[in-house]
Amino acid sequence: MDIQNLRIQIERIDTLPTIPKVLRKLLKIIENPRASMTEISEFVSSDPVLTSRVLKVVNSPVYGFPGRISSVSQALILLGLNVVRGMLLGVSVFEVMEKAMNGLWRHSLGCAVAARVIAKKKGIKEPEEVSIAALLHDIGKVALSLKFPEDYKIIIDNTDKQSLFIFESEKNFFSVNHSDAGSWIAQRWNFPRNLIEAIEYHHKPHLSKTVPLNAAIVHFSDVLVRGLGFGFAGDHFVPPVNPASFQLIGLSDGDLKDVITELEDLLEDGDPLSPEE
Amino acid sequence: MPKVSVESLKVGMKLSKPIVNDTGMVLLGAGTELTQSAIERLSAMNIAAVHVEGPSSPLMSREKLLSDLDARFRKTENEPHMSDLKRLIKEHIEELFK
Repeated sequence: MDIQNLRIQIERIDTLPTIPKVLRKLLKIIENPRASMTEISEFVSSDPVLTSRVLKVVNSPVYGFPGRISSVSQALILLGLNVVRGMLLGVSVFEVMEKAMNGLWRHSLGCAVAARVIAKKKGIKEPEEVSIAALLHDIGKVALSLKFPEDYKIIIDNTDKQSLFIFESEKNFFSVNHSDAGSWIAQRWNFPRNLIEAIEYHHKPHLSKTVPLNAAIVHFSDVLVRGLGFGFAGDHFVPPVNPASFQLIGLSDGDLKDVITELEDLLEDGDPLSPEE
Repeated sequence: MPKVSVESLKVGMKLSKPIVNDTGMVLLGAGTELTQSAIERLSAMNIAAVHVEGPSSPLMSREKLLSDLDARFRKTENEPHMSDLKRLIKEHIEELFK
């Protein structure tokens, strides 16, 4: 399949019958960049499962407002529209993510927490935005495996048998990888430019023009979380960190130790969406 | 602060983190000493595990954690900064067993 055709297929993912109804409705709202806070808040509040997931996530260590947010409208005010749009997508693709790849949600959640911890350490103004980008960085894996479930099984199998990185195996098969697919779908859904770039360049953060530091943090969070062995992202190896991006973030050994300790402490709290929590 | 399953809670253990329900309401605060009736209530509420005070003991052995770490970094430990990152994670694992 040529790349243009592949892109069209990925962009039409919201018409797949395997997409949960609530996610399809949500995508319609999220796609519209002019959707108001009230519209989003009313939509979420009309669905008790979604409301409970949103409240669990915003009150979890992923966001740093533990136990303080009691309504969806309050979450919107505290976190802002873009962050809530991203988070809604994150919590709604959660089930799909787990089906696509067992452990991908934990990996994504780990990256979101790591990115927030690092962003705060770097004094970035909106750490939540970086955290959302990290939560969604592997959305392309979900898209590819939803659209091409049989092919994606072969890709995962090849990754394992040939000891590859998942992005190598995807590229061998489709001639693009999940960061391309993630970028297509993020553009299709009218995500903000910052978020698209962080998703698109999470393996090549030095190419990001608009948000090089955010992209570098998402990239490094991915490396770090895999280094710690938290969750599963499709392969068994820690990918190399981009040296320029690592230097751009500029964490000393001491900073890194702090990040690892804080991250482990937060992740020990468990997954806000796992059924037994 | 270890996380302990509700079945293995014992009377007298102290919560190190509050127990919060779906709506964010605190049911039991941090520092609460568990009584038999509190433990029964927790199991009736379908809560799986809670944080209690005391030293945390890792779920896997030191050897297993370190050999998994070696396996994960096998392909990239000679790339720039990767051996440093691996060393820091190794130090972190060793801290857990002190």
